Amino acid sequence: MVLGLRNFTERTGDGIGQPVLDTDNGEELMCVQPGVDIVLANRTRESHGTLYVSNKQVIWLSDVDKAKGYAVDFLSVSLHAVSTDPEAYPVPCIYTQIETDPDGYESDNSDSECSDTLDLSRIREMRLIPSDPSQLDSLFEVFCECAELNPEPNEEEGEEHEWIFSADQMVDEEEADYISQNPAHAIGQSNGDHDLAHTVLQSLRMLRRWSMTETTPIIDSVISSK
Amino acid sequence: MLFFSYFKDLVGREVTVELKNDLAIRGTLHSVDQYLNIKLENTRVVDQDKYPHMLSVRNCFIRGSVVRYVQLPPEGVDVELLHDATRREARGG
Repeated sequence: MVLGLRNFTERTGDGIGQPVLDTDNGEELMCVQPGVDIVLANRTRESHGTLYVSNKQVIWLSDVDKAKGYAVDFLSVSLHAVSTDPEAYPVPCIYTQIETDPDGYESDNSDSECSDTLDLSRIREMRLIPSDPSQLDSLFEVFCECAELNPEPNEEEGEEHEWIFSADQMVDEEEADYISQNPAHAIGQSNGDHDLAHTVLQSLRMLRRWSMTETTPIIDSVISSK
Repeated sequence: MLFFSYFKDLVGREVTVELKNDLAIRGTLHSVDQYLNIKLENTRVVDQDKYPHMLSVRNCFIRGSVVRYVQLPPEGVDVELLHDATRREARGG
Protein backbone atom coordinates (compact mmCIF):
# COMPACT_ATOMS: atom_id res chain seq x y z
CA MET A 1 0.00 0.00 0.00
CA VAL A 2 1.21 3.48 -0.83
CA LEU A 3 0.68 6.07 1.87
CA GLY A 4 -0.41 9.50 0.87
CA LEU A 5 -1.61 11.18 -2.24
CA ARG A 6 -0.47 10.13 -5.71
CA ASN A 7 -1.01 10.99 -9.33
CA PHE A 8 -3.80 9.17 -11.06
CA THR A 9 -4.03 9.12 -14.83
CA GLU A 10 -5.53 5.79 -15.81
CA ARG A 11 -8.84 6.44 -17.45
CA THR A 12 -11.06 4.23 -19.50
CA GLY A 13 -12.05 5.03 -23.06
CA ASP A 14 -8.67 6.00 -24.46
CA GLY A 15 -7.78 7.96 -21.40
CA ILE A 16 -10.73 10.31 -21.32
CA GLY A 17 -13.34 8.39 -19.38
CA GLN A 18 -13.78 7.19 -15.84
CA PRO A 19 -10.90 6.07 -13.67
CA VAL A 20 -9.67 2.52 -14.15
CA LEU A 21 -10.45 0.63 -10.96
CA ASP A 22 -8.96 -2.55 -9.59
CA THR A 23 -12.16 -4.49 -10.15
CA ASP A 24 -10.31 -7.80 -9.98
CA ASN A 25 -9.73 -7.10 -6.32
CA GLY A 26 -13.29 -6.07 -5.67
CA GLU A 27 -12.94 -2.35 -6.16
CA GLU A 28 -16.18 -0.69 -7.15
CA LEU A 29 -17.42 2.81 -7.59
CA MET A 30 -19.57 4.12 -4.75
CA CYS A 31 -20.21 7.67 -5.88
CA VAL A 32 -19.49 10.02 -8.77
CA GLN A 33 -19.69 13.74 -8.13
CA PRO A 34 -19.17 16.10 -11.04
CA GLY A 35 -18.34 19.75 -10.49
CA VAL A 36 -15.79 19.37 -7.72
CA ASP A 37 -12.72 21.54 -7.24
CA ILE A 38 -9.70 20.40 -5.29
CA VAL A 39 -7.18 22.18 -3.08
CA LEU A 40 -4.01 20.38 -2.03
CA ALA A 41 -2.43 21.72 1.15
CA ASN A 42 -2.36 25.51 0.76
CA ARG A 43 -1.91 25.47 -2.95
CA THR A 44 -4.23 27.17 -5.37
CA ARG A 45 -7.65 25.76 -6.07
CA GLU A 46 -7.80 23.52 -9.11
CA SER A 47 -11.12 23.84 -10.86
CA HIS A 48 -13.41 21.71 -12.92
CA GLY A 49 -12.97 18.17 -11.88
CA THR A 50 -15.00 15.11 -11.10
CA LEU A 51 -14.78 13.21 -7.87
CA TYR A 52 -14.93 9.42 -7.92
CA VAL A 53 -15.26 7.59 -4.65
CA SER A 54 -14.64 3.87 -4.74
CA ASN A 55 -14.74 1.45 -1.85
CA LYS A 56 -10.94 1.70 -1.75
CA GLN A 57 -9.92 5.20 -2.67
CA VAL A 58 -10.83 8.78 -3.45
CA ILE A 59 -10.02 9.88 -7.00
CA TRP A 60 -10.24 13.36 -8.41
CA LEU A 61 -9.88 13.77 -12.16
CA SER A 62 -9.56 17.08 -13.92
CA ASP A 63 -12.20 17.71 -16.58
CA VAL A 64 -9.90 20.15 -18.30
CA ASP A 65 -6.56 18.38 -18.36
CA LYS A 66 -7.21 14.72 -19.03
CA ALA A 67 -3.72 13.87 -17.92
CA LYS A 68 -4.29 15.32 -14.50
CA GLY A 69 -5.72 13.44 -11.58
CA TYR A 70 -5.04 12.58 -7.95
CA ALA A 71 -5.93 9.64 -5.78
CA VAL A 72 -5.59 8.66 -2.17
CA ASP A 73 -6.46 5.36 -0.51
CA PHE A 74 -8.97 5.45 2.30
CA LEU A 75 -6.31 3.79 4.40
CA SER A 76 -4.37 7.05 4.20
CA VAL A 77 -7.29 9.33 4.99
CA SER A 78 -6.84 10.01 8.70
CA LEU A 79 -9.74 12.35 9.07
CA HIS A 80 -12.47 13.89 7.02
CA ALA A 81 -14.86 16.63 7.94
CA VAL A 82 -17.49 19.01 6.67
CA SER A 83 -15.99 22.48 6.81
CA THR A 84 -18.49 25.29 6.63
CA ASP A 85 -16.83 27.88 8.83
CA PRO A 86 -15.62 30.71 6.56
CA GLU A 87 -12.81 31.35 9.00
CA ALA A 88 -11.50 27.85 8.48
CA TYR A 89 -11.86 28.04 4.70
CA PRO A 90 -13.73 30.63 2.65
CA VAL A 91 -15.99 28.15 0.89
CA PRO A 92 -17.76 25.07 2.22
CA CYS A 93 -15.78 21.93 1.53
CA ILE A 94 -14.89 18.44 2.59
CA TYR A 95 -11.68 18.76 4.54
CA THR A 96 -9.37 15.75 4.75
CA GLN A 97 -6.10 15.00 6.43
CA ILE A 98 -3.82 12.54 4.73
CA GLU A 99 -1.33 10.28 6.40
CA THR A 100 2.01 10.52 4.65
CA ASP A 101 5.07 8.36 4.69
CA PRO A 102 6.98 9.17 7.90
CA ASP A 103 10.21 9.41 5.91
CA GLY A 104 8.83 12.49 4.27
CA TYR A 105 8.25 14.25 7.56
CA GLU A 106 11.51 16.10 7.98
CA SER A 107 10.49 18.84 5.63
CA ASP A 108 7.25 20.50 6.43
CA ASN A 109 4.23 21.16 4.27
CA SER A 110 5.65 24.57 3.52
CA ASP A 111 7.95 22.98 0.99
CA SER A 112 5.18 21.88 -1.24
CA GLU A 113 3.34 25.13 -0.75
CA CYS A 114 6.21 27.34 -1.80
CA SER A 115 7.76 25.53 -4.65
CA ASP A 116 6.05 24.73 -7.89
CA THR A 117 7.38 21.24 -7.99
CA LEU A 118 4.72 19.31 -6.25
CA ASP A 119 5.64 16.34 -4.15
CA LEU A 120 2.27 14.68 -3.76
CA SER A 121 3.49 12.20 -1.21
CA ARG A 122 4.02 15.06 1.23
CA ILE A 123 0.59 16.59 0.91
CA ARG A 124 -1.16 16.25 4.24
CA GLU A 125 -4.35 18.14 3.58
CA MET A 126 -6.86 18.01 0.79
CA ARG A 127 -10.05 19.98 0.35
CA LEU A 128 -12.82 19.00 -2.01
CA ILE A 129 -15.19 21.76 -2.99
CA PRO A 130 -18.45 20.69 -4.64
CA SER A 131 -20.08 23.40 -6.74
CA ASP A 132 -23.28 22.72 -4.82
CA PRO A 133 -22.64 22.90 -1.06
CA SER A 134 -25.79 20.92 -0.35
CA GLN A 135 -23.88 17.86 -1.52
CA LEU A 136 -21.43 18.11 1.37
CA ASP A 137 -23.40 16.01 3.81
CA SER A 138 -24.02 13.15 1.42
CA LEU A 139 -20.37 13.20 0.37
CA PHE A 140 -19.36 13.12 4.01
CA GLU A 141 -21.55 10.08 4.58
CA VAL A 142 -20.07 8.28 1.57
CA PHE A 143 -16.60 8.96 2.94
CA CYS A 144 -17.64 7.58 6.33
CA GLU A 145 -19.07 4.48 4.78
CA CYS A 146 -15.95 3.83 2.73
CA ALA A 147 -13.58 4.56 5.59
CA GLU A 148 -15.37 1.89 7.58
CA LEU A 149 -14.87 -0.54 4.72
CA ASN A 150 -11.12 -0.06 5.03
CA PRO A 151 -9.92 -0.99 8.50
CA GLU A 152 -6.23 -1.30 9.17
CA PRO A 153 -4.65 -4.37 7.60
CA ASN A 154 -2.14 -6.63 9.38
CA GLU A 155 -4.05 -7.28 12.50
CA GLU A 156 -3.51 -10.97 11.98
CA GLU A 157 -3.78 -13.69 14.54
CA GLY A 158 -0.65 -14.88 16.21
CA GLU A 159 0.22 -11.63 17.85
CA GLU A 160 -2.67 -11.73 20.21
CA HIS A 161 -1.08 -13.84 22.93
CA GLU A 162 1.99 -11.77 23.03
CA TRP A 163 -0.16 -8.73 23.35
CA ILE A 164 -2.35 -9.96 26.13
CA PHE A 165 0.44 -11.05 28.35
CA SER A 166 2.71 -8.17 27.68
CA ALA A 167 -0.05 -5.91 28.78
CA ASP A 168 0.21 -6.58 32.48
CA GLN A 169 -0.03 -2.84 32.88
CA MET A 170 -3.70 -3.48 32.27
CA VAL A 171 -4.15 -4.94 35.69
CA ASP A 172 -1.93 -4.29 38.63
CA GLU A 173 0.70 -6.92 39.06
CA GLU A 174 -0.86 -8.46 42.08
CA GLU A 175 -3.97 -9.10 40.15
CA ALA A 176 -2.04 -10.47 37.19
CA ASP A 177 -0.34 -12.91 39.53
CA TYR A 178 -3.61 -13.85 41.01
CA ILE A 179 -5.05 -14.54 37.64
CA SER A 180 -2.15 -16.62 36.48
CA GLN A 181 -2.22 -18.67 39.66
CA ASN A 182 -5.95 -19.14 39.75
CA PRO A 183 -6.97 -19.50 36.18
CA ALA A 184 -10.13 -21.36 37.10
CA HIS A 185 -11.23 -18.87 39.69
CA ALA A 186 -12.93 -16.55 37.34
CA ILE A 187 -16.11 -14.77 38.16
CA GLY A 188 -17.59 -15.17 34.73
CA GLN A 189 -16.71 -18.82 34.43
CA SER A 190 -20.12 -20.38 34.94
CA ASN A 191 -21.46 -20.11 31.45
CA GLY A 192 -20.32 -18.61 28.24
CA ASP A 193 -16.74 -18.38 29.34
CA HIS A 194 -15.62 -19.31 25.91
CA ASP A 195 -17.63 -16.52 24.44
CA LEU A 196 -16.20 -14.13 26.91
CA ALA A 197 -12.67 -15.17 26.07
CA HIS A 198 -13.45 -14.68 22.44
CA THR A 199 -14.88 -11.27 23.09
CA VAL A 200 -11.82 -10.34 25.07
CA LEU A 201 -9.48 -11.41 22.34
CA GLN A 202 -11.48 -9.43 19.89
CA SER A 203 -11.49 -6.31 21.92
CA LEU A 204 -7.81 -6.55 22.68
CA ARG A 205 -7.03 -7.08 19.05
CA MET A 206 -9.15 -4.13 18.26
CA LEU A 207 -7.53 -2.02 20.87
CA ARG A 208 -4.14 -2.98 19.58
CA ARG A 209 -5.05 -2.03 16.07
CA TRP A 210 -6.66 1.09 17.24
CA SER A 211 -3.50 2.41 18.73
CA MET A 212 -0.67 0.12 17.86
CA THR A 213 1.95 1.44 20.21
CA GLU A 214 0.10 3.69 22.51
CA THR A 215 -2.69 1.82 24.13
CA THR A 216 -1.44 1.62 27.64
CA PRO A 217 -1.77 5.25 28.66
CA ILE A 218 -5.47 5.04 27.97
CA ILE A 219 -5.85 1.95 30.05
CA ASP A 220 -3.60 3.38 32.74
CA SER A 221 -5.72 6.45 32.96
CA VAL A 222 -8.85 4.37 33.25
CA ILE A 223 -7.41 2.39 36.10
CA SER A 224 -5.57 5.11 37.90
CA SER A 225 -8.48 7.45 37.92
CA LYS A 226 -10.17 5.56 40.70
CA MET B 1 -15.50 -5.30 22.53
CA LEU B 2 -15.09 -3.60 25.88
CA PHE B 3 -13.80 -0.33 24.54
CA PHE B 4 -16.32 -0.28 21.73
CA SER B 5 -19.16 -0.73 24.21
CA TYR B 6 -17.59 1.73 26.55
CA PHE B 7 -17.30 4.46 23.96
CA LYS B 8 -20.83 3.80 22.80
CA ASP B 9 -21.98 4.74 26.26
CA LEU B 10 -20.24 8.07 25.89
CA VAL B 11 -22.20 9.09 22.81
CA GLY B 12 -23.56 12.60 23.22
CA ARG B 13 -20.83 13.68 25.59
CA GLU B 14 -17.96 16.05 25.00
CA VAL B 15 -14.65 14.34 24.44
CA THR B 16 -11.26 15.42 23.22
CA VAL B 17 -9.63 13.19 20.66
CA GLU B 18 -5.89 13.54 20.39
CA LEU B 19 -4.38 12.34 17.14
CA LYS B 20 -0.97 10.84 16.64
CA ASN B 21 -0.04 13.93 14.65
CA ASP B 22 -0.61 15.99 17.84
CA LEU B 23 -3.82 17.57 16.68
CA ALA B 24 -6.40 17.56 19.46
CA ILE B 25 -10.04 17.92 18.51
CA ARG B 26 -12.83 18.53 20.96
CA GLY B 27 -16.40 17.79 20.09
CA THR B 28 -19.56 15.92 20.90
CA LEU B 29 -19.18 12.21 20.39
CA HIS B 30 -21.67 11.32 17.67
CA SER B 31 -20.81 7.68 17.15
CA VAL B 32 -18.10 5.09 17.30
CA ASP B 33 -17.78 1.88 15.32
CA GLN B 34 -16.13 -1.46 15.87
CA TYR B 35 -12.81 -0.15 14.55
CA LEU B 36 -13.02 2.70 17.03
CA ASN B 37 -13.43 5.15 14.22
CA ILE B 38 -14.87 8.21 15.90
CA LYS B 39 -17.41 10.70 14.64
CA LEU B 40 -17.56 14.06 16.34
CA GLU B 41 -20.00 16.92 15.95
CA ASN B 42 -19.48 20.62 16.52
CA THR B 43 -15.78 20.20 16.74
CA ARG B 44 -13.08 22.67 17.48
CA VAL B 45 -9.35 22.34 17.57
CA VAL B 46 -7.91 22.65 21.05
CA ASP B 47 -4.67 24.33 20.05
CA GLN B 48 -6.07 26.92 17.69
CA ASP B 49 -2.86 28.87 17.32
CA LYS B 50 -1.16 25.87 15.86
CA TYR B 51 -3.98 24.78 13.58
CA PRO B 52 -5.87 27.96 12.70
CA HIS B 53 -7.36 26.59 9.50
CA MET B 54 -9.19 23.85 11.35
CA LEU B 55 -10.92 26.25 13.69
CA SER B 56 -14.15 24.41 13.48
CA VAL B 57 -15.87 21.87 11.35
CA ARG B 58 -19.42 20.66 11.60
CA ASN B 59 -18.93 16.92 11.35
CA CYS B 60 -15.69 15.10 11.65
CA PHE B 61 -14.79 11.46 11.08
CA ILE B 62 -11.54 10.33 12.65
CA ARG B 63 -9.92 7.08 11.63
CA GLY B 64 -9.47 4.86 14.67
CA SER B 65 -5.89 4.02 13.78
CA VAL B 66 -4.73 7.64 14.04
CA VAL B 67 -6.11 8.24 17.53
CA ARG B 68 -3.57 8.50 20.32
CA TYR B 69 -5.78 9.38 23.28
CA VAL B 70 -9.39 10.06 24.00
CA GLN B 71 -9.88 12.40 26.91
CA LEU B 72 -13.08 11.46 28.66
CA PRO B 73 -15.47 13.53 30.70
CA PRO B 74 -14.77 12.61 34.34
CA GLU B 75 -18.45 12.05 35.02
CA GLY B 76 -18.55 9.54 32.16
CA VAL B 77 -16.03 7.25 33.79
CA ASP B 78 -17.49 4.57 36.00
CA VAL B 79 -14.30 3.25 37.51
CA GLU B 80 -15.88 0.32 39.32
CA LEU B 81 -17.57 -0.91 36.20
CA LEU B 82 -14.43 -0.57 34.10
CA HIS B 83 -12.31 -2.21 36.72
CA ASP B 84 -14.66 -5.16 36.77
CA ALA B 85 -14.73 -5.36 33.02
CA THR B 86 -10.96 -5.28 32.66
CA ARG B 87 -10.63 -8.00 35.29
CA ARG B 88 -13.04 -10.17 33.43
CA GLU B 89 -11.11 -9.54 30.25
CA ALA B 90 -7.84 -10.49 31.85
CA ARG B 91 -9.28 -13.75 33.07
CA GLY B 92 -10.88 -14.50 29.78
CA GLY B 93 -7.44 -14.37 28.15
